[in-house]
Amino acid sequence: MTAAPVLEARAVEKWYGVHPAVRRVDFSLAGGEFLTLFGPNGAGKSTLLRLLSGTLRPTRGEVHLNGQPLQYGDPEWRARIGVLSHQSFLYGQLTAEENLRLYGRLYGLPDLPGRIEGRLREVGLWERRADAARGFSRGMIQRLALARTLLHDPEVVLLDEPYTGLDPHAARVLRGVLEQLKDGRRTVLLVTHNLSQGLELADRVAVQVGGRWISDEPRAAVDAARFEHVYTERVGGAR
Amino acid sequence: MSAFVRQVLAIAGKDLTLEARSRERLVSMLTFAVLVAVIFSFALDPTVRGRSIAGAMLWVTVIFAGMLGLGRSFASEREQDALLGLLLAPLDRSALFLGKFLANLLILLVTELVIFPVYALFFQLPLGRGVGGLALVVLLASVGFMALGTLFSAVAAHTRLGETMLPILLLPLLLPVVIFAASATQHLLIGRPLAEQASALRMLLAFDVIFVVVGALVFGAVVEE
Amino acid sequence: MTEVQTDSLASTRRWAIGLSLAAAAGVLATLWMVFFYVPTESTMGVVQRIFYVHVPSAWNAFLAFVIVALCSLGYLWLHDDRLDAIAVSAAEIGVIFTTIVLTTGPLWASIAWGAWWVWDPRLTLTLLLWFIYVGYFMLRGATENPERGKRFAAVLGIVGAIDIPLIHLSVLWFRSQHPKPVILKPEGPTADPRIVQTLLLGFLSFTLLFFALLLLRYGVERMRRSVEALRYRQAMDSPVTHDSQGVYR
Repeated sequence: MTAAPVLEARAVEKWYGVHPAVRRVDFSLAGGEFLTLFGPNGAGKSTLLRLLSGTLRPTRGEVHLNGQPLQYGDPEWRARIGVLSHQSFLYGQLTAEENLRLYGRLYGLPDLPGRIEGRLREVGLWERRADAARGFSRGMIQRLALARTLLHDPEVVLLDEPYTGLDPHAARVLRGVLEQLKDGRRTVLLVTHNLSQGLELADRVAVQVGGRWISDEPRAAVDAARFEHVYTERVGGAR
Repeated sequence: MSAFVRQVLAIAGKDLTLEARSRERLVSMLTFAVLVAVIFSFALDPTVRGRSIAGAMLWVTVIFAGMLGLGRSFASEREQDALLGLLLAPLDRSALFLGKFLANLLILLVTELVIFPVYALFFQLPLGRGVGGLALVVLLASVGFMALGTLFSAVAAHTRLGETMLPILLLPLLLPVVIFAASATQHLLIGRPLAEQASALRMLLAFDVIFVVVGALVFGAVVEE
Repeated sequence: MTEVQTDSLASTRRWAIGLSLAAAAGVLATLWMVFFYVPTESTMGVVQRIFYVHVPSAWNAFLAFVIVALCSLGYLWLHDDRLDAIAVSAAEIGVIFTTIVLTTGPLWASIAWGAWWVWDPRLTLTLLLWFIYVGYFMLRGATENPERGKRFAAVLGIVGAIDIPLIHLSVLWFRSQHPKPVILKPEGPTADPRIVQTLLLGFLSFTLLFFALLLLRYGVERMRRSVEALRYRQAMDSPVTHDSQGVYR
């Protein structure tokens, strides 16, 4: 892991009128770190991820990428971030390949056909490349979305509850890809309810409740069994 | 090819591909337009010659059919939150605007290609003479219409009222387009030379340039959450 | 969120009071002149006096929109909430004066020309301005996220301001194509200096009135936003509803 922080949230707050979604989050992620963020529904984790991805402006505070505050008017730096959400960002009437080709062209990626093939094979969808996405099951959609997320080889990967609604096969594929993301040069923030999966891959574990981080610990300091017990008890149940 | 142009074409291509596959906007716009023509035929007193108000009928129909199509222009983006996916990419917001604008324009032009002959049929309009001039008027008016239309369909899509906000916002702003287009169309249909419509065409062109540029510049503020 | 800036609010209030007094004096003087000083216009009679209210109101309506447009531009560019506060204040006052124009116009027209509404270019433009104002307020209230509503309204403000001259040109052009039998001369015979004097005082006092109202409304708007900011700070300091202790230790 490199020492310089890759992704930082500095006193970040997001308010909708007088309703706070994120109330002051401060943290920094170093290069190569894998942080898993837990928390109940409504804790503002998705909002935080939107803020970190630069698609939402904080009411207060700043998000820094590689030491620079995000320049919302300039789109260049967005190529360094990849986001996987429970919404797939895909077009149902386009084929798997066409969806990826669209994003590839938007990102200006060289050797697009090769990349598309590589990613589709990685998630096991190469045979279905010419099929319209709306015919895909939830698991296949998510696998395609994963391919879309990593198509441009982002150095920062943000995942918002990617395991939601996945069948075991898709979950296995996802798990495999996430393991590969721990290659030391990619920084990953995973939001999940899935305690076992989340703890397994994490270097660092944090919990967000009511818009704030109430804990942020290295994985080594966390005892899995106790964590699960206290988390379920205090925060309101694992899903 | 510059990155910007590549992005514009990617977005336009995506919208046109989606429309070509579903055809839902085209079908609804065309059905609406033909039905309006039918209603006009029966609403008008038979002693009124369709030819004397053709310019007005045509452009009223085009404006409302166009707004019908615009209402759906962001529908595909809402499905799987695809708009967010586009915004995450290093996509220039002006390129997003221009891509959608081009796609909307093409879809409208295809619709107009059907509407004008249908009206010619129903109201015995002499489309033959001056058809080149007519095409120019249609093109210039459609550009301005779709420039403002693309901008405000993005606005309307993110309000609680949705598509119903579109006429309220657009109609006052489109008055110049209606005035110049209807007038030029009417004059061309009664056989006046194209050269006489020069001032109307110039105004349409000015309108087009201004609002394509303004739309591209402010679109970022509209799509940002 | 705007911070409470008590000293700038106090100076706003001082100016507002000063301008209100000046405006009140000016408007009263104008009214006096309208009823006792200015001669009755020969062709249109007594009803023509409404013109001394009608024309300055129109000026205010468009002045207000210029302010809306400039502040909207600034708001989109600088993200300064105060600019939005000025814009919405100006818009509220602008729509009131627009409505005044649209009511005094037909009143005058019904007697001067025998018709309640003629497509007079200026009146038409004012009608469309009215619709744009309506759209402006609708947008502000129509979004889930109020910040987004402000931004949408700002976009309409800017586009509207750019479009208004084009609308005006198109309506003039339309009328040149379709000349109306009624020739409009709202100024009447311009020979009499008393008419010009009254009109000028009318412009001056209405402009003062506009800025007085603007500052008053802006002051109220700033206070409202300060209350919101205080509520927000109170909510921020309240404890997390779930356990705020460490989850495990």
